[in-house]
Amino acid sequence: MKSDYRLGIDAGGTFTDFVLADKTGQVRLFKALSTPQDPTLAIKNGLQLISEDLGVSAETVVSNCDLCINGTTVGLNALITHKGAKTGLICTAGHEDSLEIRLGHKEDGYRYDPEYPPATMLVPRYLRRGIRERILSDGSIRQPLNEADVRAACEVFKAEGVETVAISFVWSVLHPDHEARAGAIVREMMPGVILTLGSELYPQVREYTRTSTAVVNAYLAPIMKRYVAAVDSYFRSLGAKQPVRYYQSNGGLAIGQAMTDRSVYAINSGPASAPAAGQYVCEPFGYKNVITVDMGGTSFDITLTKDGSTNINKNIDFLRYRIGVPMIQVETLGAGGGSIGWIDEMGLMQMGPQSAGSDPGPACYGQGGKLPTVSDANLVMGYLNPDGLVGGRLPLDYQKAHDAIKTNLAAPLKMSVERAAYGMFTIVNANMVNGIRRVTVERGYDPRDFVLVGAGGATAAHITALADAIGIDTIILPKLASGLCAFGQIISDVKYNYMATAPLRLDNDAAFARIDALFNQIEAQGVAHLKSDGFKAKDINTKRSLDMRYVGQVHECTVEIGNFTVDAKSISKIKEAFHKRHKELYTYAEPLSVVEVVNIESTVFGVVDKPERMTIGKGTTAQKAMKGHRDAVFSADGKRVRTPIYDGTPLGVGASIKGPAVIEEVTTTIVLEPGWTARLDASGSYLITRDRKKGAT
Amino acid sequence: MARKTAKKIEVDPITLSVVRGILETTQREMTLSLEKTARSSVFNLAHDYSTALFNATPEMILQGQDIPIHLGSLIPAMKVVAGYFEGDIHEGDLLIHNDPAWGGSHAIDTCFYKPVFWKGRLKYWTVCKGHLTDIGGPVPAGYNPNAKEIYAECLRIPPVKVWDRGVPRRDVLNFIFTNMRARRDQEGDFNALIGACQVGERALIAMLEKYGEATVDACIDTLLDMAEKQMRGLISTVPDGTYEGSAIVEDAGHGFGDLTITAKVTIKADTCHIEISSPPQIPYFINSYEGNSYSGVYLGLMMFAQLPPPYNEGLYRCISVNMGPKGTLCNAVEPAPHMNCTTTPMETLTDAVRLAFEKAVPSKVSASWGHANGLNIAGWDKRHDEEYVTMVLATIISGAGATPSQDGWHACGPECCFGALTSGDVELLEYSYPIIIHRYSLMTDSGGAGKNRGGSGTAWEVEPLNDDMTFITFGEGRRIPAVGAAGASSTMIDTKVGRLELVEGSHSETIRENVIKVIKPGDRITNMNPGGGGYGNPMERPVEKVVWDVKNGLVSIQGAREDYGVIIKDPTTLDVDIAATSALRAKRAVAAK
Repeated sequence: MKSDYRLGIDAGGTFTDFVLADKTGQVRLFKALSTPQDPTLAIKNGLQLISEDLGVSAETVVSNCDLCINGTTVGLNALITHKGAKTGLICTAGHEDSLEIRLGHKEDGYRYDPEYPPATMLVPRYLRRGIRERILSDGSIRQPLNEADVRAACEVFKAEGVETVAISFVWSVLHPDHEARAGAIVREMMPGVILTLGSELYPQVREYTRTSTAVVNAYLAPIMKRYVAAVDSYFRSLGAKQPVRYYQSNGGLAIGQAMTDRSVYAINSGPASAPAAGQYVCEPFGYKNVITVDMGGTSFDITLTKDGSTNINKNIDFLRYRIGVPMIQVETLGAGGGSIGWIDEMGLMQMGPQSAGSDPGPACYGQGGKLPTVSDANLVMGYLNPDGLVGGRLPLDYQKAHDAIKTNLAAPLKMSVERAAYGMFTIVNANMVNGIRRVTVERGYDPRDFVLVGAGGATAAHITALADAIGIDTIILPKLASGLCAFGQIISDVKYNYMATAPLRLDNDAAFARIDALFNQIEAQGVAHLKSDGFKAKDINTKRSLDMRYVGQVHECTVEIGNFTVDAKSISKIKEAFHKRHKELYTYAEPLSVVEVVNIESTVFGVVDKPERMTIGKGTTAQKAMKGHRDAVFSADGKRVRTPIYDGTPLGVGASIKGPAVIEEVTTTIVLEPGWTARLDASGSYLITRDRKKGAT
Repeated sequence: MARKTAKKIEVDPITLSVVRGILETTQREMTLSLEKTARSSVFNLAHDYSTALFNATPEMILQGQDIPIHLGSLIPAMKVVAGYFEGDIHEGDLLIHNDPAWGGSHAIDTCFYKPVFWKGRLKYWTVCKGHLTDIGGPVPAGYNPNAKEIYAECLRIPPVKVWDRGVPRRDVLNFIFTNMRARRDQEGDFNALIGACQVGERALIAMLEKYGEATVDACIDTLLDMAEKQMRGLISTVPDGTYEGSAIVEDAGHGFGDLTITAKVTIKADTCHIEISSPPQIPYFINSYEGNSYSGVYLGLMMFAQLPPPYNEGLYRCISVNMGPKGTLCNAVEPAPHMNCTTTPMETLTDAVRLAFEKAVPSKVSASWGHANGLNIAGWDKRHDEEYVTMVLATIISGAGATPSQDGWHACGPECCFGALTSGDVELLEYSYPIIIHRYSLMTDSGGAGKNRGGSGTAWEVEPLNDDMTFITFGEGRRIPAVGAAGASSTMIDTKVGRLELVEGSHSETIRENVIKVIKPGDRITNMNPGGGGYGNPMERPVEKVVWDVKNGLVSIQGAREDYGVIIKDPTTLDVDIAATSALRAKRAVAAK
């Protein structure tokens, strides 16, 4: 990093986090309230805080940054609240309803619920216009494009005030000309309209996925365009050296134009930086298999990295909309500090997914919340400091927490408040563990082969309990945990995904040659794009993957492959990798069956140099940092144990603390259950390990 | 079902919640594994399979949220299969079975049962039930409207061991595959089913290792008891008495006329007895053996109960069922042919039970969903020089019934699947089979009229790509629309029922019977599925909702007038003649009295 600073701005639901890294490796965390009505306002407010702290103007900070990076929830919020732009869809006649039929399915969990509503349509039926045209499954033209139909659709759109148009034809991915021609007509008839072509945005087999992805993109594009224009011009006015880079849900950075053309890549960018951050903090320890968990106020996000590469989701339902393009696989569940404890119809205690949020907040915040939350349980159990969090800036009310648990849970279940609180803790942990199972065991990974990285303000109180429950022995808990995602964004690379489709059976040389040619073709596109963005050839990398299956199967299994020529010789390597992955996932492989490729993908990276690492100085010993004791609960019987409390701030490198103990950092509180020991590493993270023969089996 | 009297161990409510979560996650893992690996589109695109966990008793300890058709019938089937091999069940065994006379539902739904052992003793069964692509017999895909006896339908598999102590029985497997079409896909599907059973086994053993046998056992017993308590609590809110509901199974070409199924629901305190009466079985493929009929009854019960998951066998402890005399439509015996039974007559049986509950608790109902009437297709795929055969689940996607709070979901049925199916992507279907799908869309005026409208049904139009294609139709719901609730009824009937339109060269016809036919490239068939029933008086549907439906092509201008009494005077602006609308609605209200 050559400049003085790098700035990361990550907008969350409640707070916008700012991380400012400087040349020396120091990282500063700031938080400003998010302003969903005018997202640029929170940015201005945060820069104000930074400039006050450093004693220089916002212009000085920004103009001395090599990069300013922004993760935004603007697209996500528009999708959640259904406040995207008025969108029209042009599609193959006879298939106007695939978007609304949604493959004829109702989500599990609501089978007999008479009040569960259908998904809100982003494009109502009267704005979905069928065009007479047809490509067949071999890419041939059955019926040419009827241009008059396209023009008629444009007339309807103009009359209805449509601002953005998606075009998605059946099998366009094998023959994109019809979409391209229809697009040209739309541009001619509706100058200024934003246009999304399915075959460009998501060139993969599956009409419903492609159409839905194109529609979500079109729906968000005008919103993202306005947002990016506002942020770009604000930073330009402050003298930024480089255009602002935006964070995408694929885990990489992009320039503003890419965010407008591919808005769908913006929707879940917040937690997508967690894997990069997790890998970064693990690097000094040499760990490559990492599960990063981020527990905030309302949600718990899980991401996974194996052998240094992160799992990617494609073709999933996100907020009930099918999205094809790759997104960092984030398993999100309603478990956070604000999750509410309640008793269900069967008389069982449940935690969440309802959350007290920040208003009214947990009972212990004393803002009118009456329902018992995870934070209340953590306070009652002695984990959180009753004098308050963030050095006392957020006071806590022990009695209110106690009463909320007693009234709503302990009394009806006829147990002590301590037992109920520990029960709340255990159940919310169990929910989180089942979530972790979904990204590990369900995908063929043994969680015991991973280290656990804690991110987010609330995680550290639960981290040793979670590790116990899944059998993980090693935890990395950075001091920066509460701003780790924003930090992950400033150490990320620029990243674009390029795709092609080629349903090919791997039993002939022509198929191998075709795959090889397609890889070269899409990568050439990506390299050209990055070069125009200022990257030199040496800073551009590619990573390849193939979606494969046995002939006759319909769903594919994504397998990463190396950058080698695909030919008769190397194909056995590819097939082997597929058999192996299939067996990991599903307990068996069929080595004698013919394998086929469906989709091809290459991720193209523009490598951004990384800021200096933080280093921890000599500081004090653990003994000197001990500030007192609290009686804390660590077992189901609710018994209290005298537990030492440490101040994390003055601790020096190598300081070692044995559980049971609580370490209070400024923005997070680490709970060490009995059987765990933490040691502060020079890189600014605690390495927390299980003592031999003491942990759960 | 007899209650166990064994002494109960107290379990910690926290561990109980944890064990419940693990059971649900385990079942989900099995389901995902099956979907991702299966060859037949009926599994991998359509989700026509279910997975469940049983204890050693065997009682169902977790039923997935898969297909309700499978919900009830797995319970008796598991008991029959475990009973047959009693004393001869070993670690590493794998049993399969499909026969309705041995407790199965319909024979194309083949079940895989893997006993899970822990420290040398049988602890659990992981079970997968799936609709195979073919099950042998004279016609592809199993549905033979011409069969007069079950022997003329398919390969019947009584309980059989296909793995013995960890060793696959190649002779038995070969015997089975030799009797089926599309062997390559069938072998792949068997692997997928077995893989899913193993995925479940892996997770259950991990749970026992972590929490210990005694704790887990106590938790599972408690979960069963809690489900029982929940259902008893619900039943006890229903006034004591006997309530009756009847519904009609249409004559879909068999010539025996319309058949009426009646359900008599008797509530006494916290128990419920359901008695079914149906006409004698007929030599046509719509007879339901007892196991399958349980599914129909339980689905009608759940449409009333509306309980959230998880589900287990405890729910049914306070429910007793009498399916009527042996040899009747809903309690069929050999040699009754049966292949269509999971849709017809099951959906009618469900309606009868639902209607009885509607009388018992009029405030808690959902209208009936569209019944399945669909297509199987088969032929030669010249692209790869191989045979193809499949049920097309996209052809049975009907509309859901409206509820007291909202319009029915479009394209979510049929009733017997209750939204658990998926229809498969048009491109994946065209890639898998040599067909061109010209249309897959919602149908105008297909949702049942009501204050809340029923969901729209779908039309699926297909043409064979480059060779002859055999198609077989099955089901019913082609004359009588889905039954509404709370006084809903439609005036325009023709658009709300299922039917098949055939265009062969210059000839075209509408088919409302179950047929087997062959068509050529250039010919087309359009299979149309019914919409769901409406809820409440359609004359009370707000005018602006009717106009919005017209704007979106879900209701025609004629439909607005006939079904809803709304008169639109300008087809472009959709302006409503308010005075004429009020007058017509008033007149209809009088006529209704």
